[in-house]
Amino acid sequence: MATDTGTPQRATPAAPAPPPAGPATALLRARPVQAALLTVLLFAVVFGAYAAFGSLPTRTGLDLGLGAQLDRLYAWVVANRNASPLFLYGFNYLSVGLGSAVILIDQGLTLLTWPGVVVLGVFTAWRVAGWRVAAYVAVTFAVFGVLGLWEQAMTTLALITTSVLLALLAGIPLGIAAGRSQRFYRLIRPVLDFMQIMPAFAYLMPALLLFGIGNPSAAVVTTVYAIPPAVRITAMAIRNVDPGAVEATTSLGSTPWQLLTKVQLPLAKRTILLGVNQTIMLAMSMVVIASVIGAGGLGDAIYQALSKANVGQAMEAGLAIVLMAIALDRVTAAAGDGTRTPAIPERLRLPVLGAGVLAAAVAALAARLAGATAWPAGWELSIAGGVNWLNEALQDLVGDATKALAGATLNWVLDPLRAVLTDSPWWLVVIAAFVLGRLFGSWGTALTGGFAILACGLLGAWEFSMDTLSQVLVAALATVVIGFAVGILASRSDTFAALLRPLLDAMQTLPPFVYLIPAVALFGVGRIPALAAAVIYALPPVIRLVDDGIRGCSPSAVEAAVAQGSSRWQLLTKVQLPLARSSLLLAVNQGIMMVLAMVVIGALVGAGALGYGVVFGMAQNLLGLGLTSGLAIVGLGLFLDRVTQGAARQERTAHA
Amino acid sequence: MRDRSTLTRSLPAKAAVVVLAVLMTASCAVRTTSMLRDPDTVRIALNGWVGYEADAAVIEHLLEHELDYQVQIMQIDEQPAWQALDQGAVDVILENWGHEDLMETYGPNGNDTVVDGGPNGNIGHIGWYMPRYLTEEYPGIDTPEGLKEHADVFRTDESGDKGQFLAGAPGFVTSDQGMIDHYGLPLSIVYAGSEAAQLTAVRDAYEDEQPILFYSQEPSWIMEDLDLVRVKFPEWTEGCDADPADVSCDYPKYDLNKIYRKGFATEDSAAFRLIDAWKWRNTDQNVVAGLIARDGLEREDAAAKWAADNKDVWRPWIPEDAAK
Repeated sequence: MATDTGTPQRATPAAPAPPPAGPATALLRARPVQAALLTVLLFAVVFGAYAAFGSLPTRTGLDLGLGAQLDRLYAWVVANRNASPLFLYGFNYLSVGLGSAVILIDQGLTLLTWPGVVVLGVFTAWRVAGWRVAAYVAVTFAVFGVLGLWEQAMTTLALITTSVLLALLAGIPLGIAAGRSQRFYRLIRPVLDFMQIMPAFAYLMPALLLFGIGNPSAAVVTTVYAIPPAVRITAMAIRNVDPGAVEATTSLGSTPWQLLTKVQLPLAKRTILLGVNQTIMLAMSMVVIASVIGAGGLGDAIYQALSKANVGQAMEAGLAIVLMAIALDRVTAAAGDGTRTPAIPERLRLPVLGAGVLAAAVAALAARLAGATAWPAGWELSIAGGVNWLNEALQDLVGDATKALAGATLNWVLDPLRAVLTDSPWWLVVIAAFVLGRLFGSWGTALTGGFAILACGLLGAWEFSMDTLSQVLVAALATVVIGFAVGILASRSDTFAALLRPLLDAMQTLPPFVYLIPAVALFGVGRIPALAAAVIYALPPVIRLVDDGIRGCSPSAVEAAVAQGSSRWQLLTKVQLPLARSSLLLAVNQGIMMVLAMVVIGALVGAGALGYGVVFGMAQNLLGLGLTSGLAIVGLGLFLDRVTQGAARQERTAHA
Repeated sequence: MRDRSTLTRSLPAKAAVVVLAVLMTASCAVRTTSMLRDPDTVRIALNGWVGYEADAAVIEHLLEHELDYQVQIMQIDEQPAWQALDQGAVDVILENWGHEDLMETYGPNGNDTVVDGGPNGNIGHIGWYMPRYLTEEYPGIDTPEGLKEHADVFRTDESGDKGQFLAGAPGFVTSDQGMIDHYGLPLSIVYAGSEAAQLTAVRDAYEDEQPILFYSQEPSWIMEDLDLVRVKFPEWTEGCDADPADVSCDYPKYDLNKIYRKGFATEDSAAFRLIDAWKWRNTDQNVVAGLIARDGLEREDAAAKWAADNKDVWRPWIPEDAAK
């Protein structure tokens, strides 16, 4: 889900921007913006003419019939899963192996008992990241127990461990290959893009079909989702290794293998560990989604609470996920930079390690002897009641206002936009996509964008796609407006930024399922609660990028402007925002992609359209509908991503 | 171009040939049923409505406390749950609503991996519901004719110029559009996307005495909690819903039944015999479901409370030779 974290090489080129061409270059004068306005105008004229005179075909003959093919495939797999060699000697191996691995790790954790796990976990955290992180890990474990979610947390930990190991096993070698060969990287890049834009929900059905219900599918889906950052960051790490060192080694006549193991990998280690960190975070974000296909653990606890509309219970499990994610993040991040690792003399390292393992074993043994293998029921505490009370209080307080807001947004913004998009002939929308692509990017962008939109029709999902597009555009607009405002405020006040940080952390790791029901309570069933949830989900990276971008402005430019007597407003609009432009464009891109990732989840509260196609296909075993809807989301994503990225690139080259 | 001899001579190719040969021997064929499994664990599918959770809660409680089994409950939609039985990932579905097509695919005439376990005693009836206060304000609104006349009462921003019919979770059995078309009702279906979202919207409307029309079913704890009436469509008769685009009648009544994984049934364990003997009424289910959904009890606590109050109901389900 967290698309932002997965595409680091998009984040890095936010190089210090050169000075602006001139402060007067206001937004409206920028070529792409003018061109976009022109396109919209032309679109309006053609659409108007069409509406007045014509009855041109809107969506006739576009569907290629892929859905029906997929449905046939589905029936074949169901009938042959335990008969065809493809499964007997292929997929079933992986599925049984993975399913068994998750169960084994989970049983290992049960065998350790909770005191053993706590001792081992805290020791590892201390050894890697020092006392502060170790204390945090101890608190996290305590919260699992106190909330009565110990077993669920261990199951989730087992699932995460399996998937992350698998993702690294596949991702790091691929990343090394991609780092050493530009051609290979170009070859796999579209695949990685596809993997990240495809909504996680849409993976579930094919995975279910190939690997079976429950943990195996969950592990595969989580792995597939978590591989791209592992590949990308490893490739980047290898490529960024000092060319001087590489040259020196090669000239000394070392083999490629020696070059890799003795120079490139050791020098790239820190960055690769960052990739491990990102892989874990992405895997965490899949935990709840995987519960839809029968994975157990914390995700399942949220899913079950959701089916009873029990916000408090969902919040408890959500909190456990947030804490686990932050703990894993801190530990692996510390492993990456290595600054907080306690200094232990070389000769003591082995004994310390031994002592830690021994302590864990003793704790486990003692717990077994004392018969305290399960977390004591008397030490449990529920916050569900409190959260539910808060939720109801909030609804009573602002419920009427939010419902009115929802109605206004629907009637004045969403419905008109949807009407324009769905009523336009398909070729007009495709041409518009093509033109927008050319204006913001290159001819390549135009072709990709135009084809991506056309593909939505070829998949037989034209009307749904336009409905979803209208929702995504409105949600993205809201995200960008709010995100920019908050980001700018954060960049101007350190106190505000510091207060904001933990909130953003929580917003980024809290599974969106948790706030779906409150969104329904506030906005009613339909497209608006989905939109609200998407905005909440997409805000953190936008705020962060805007804040970073403005703070990253060259201090001398700011000083010069202040010395010339600019007001704060002038400083912001004439100096800081133009200087931070590439960060801001990246923020727009990330905002849109995050909103897109919420399309399917939004369907659970009534957003309909493509997301509902995926959910309905999943629930009714309609592979054709589920997968074509998922692919259509990829089409929309490809278009939006290429156009916004193209804009960012043009911006960079224009200044270069 | 490499010729054949170099291909077979290269090490990876040789290894691949060997591995392939090993795999092809029948003993290595892996069926999904060969996943690690604990014989003392019963795996129950849980579909996403509270009534079903009540069934699962009580069975879980009895298996754990009376027979010393471990129970794993897997929340999953109806259709994937059948797939899970087929793949051997789950042992039993406790409350099945119809699905003759799935029985055709997976049952004795198809994959032969699942068996019908007979009725669980609950009678299921899907239908259209609205709060009773609406029938007082608009007499006759709970009939197809009345709905046609008063459809605009249900208009919302989301349904536009038609009345809103709020559908439930995407996995549920439906013929709503066929009924709307047959009676020419000016209604538009809004898909809530999940039962939780739907019931949240229903309760919200009920608190403010707002109009709302929605898909629901009996048994459901919401019937005990809110004062609802059922829209009176002509009773179901064989074939009246044959054409999904033109349905002239109400939903049929289902004898809800259990579905077993074939292996689970043939092993004939004590757990199987308990589940096979289990049979209860809608009122029993509603008591447990109400404890879970309305009173917010944990599943385990709700089941324990019901079991303590209803010993005579569940005693006969326990296999005599296996009871502790």
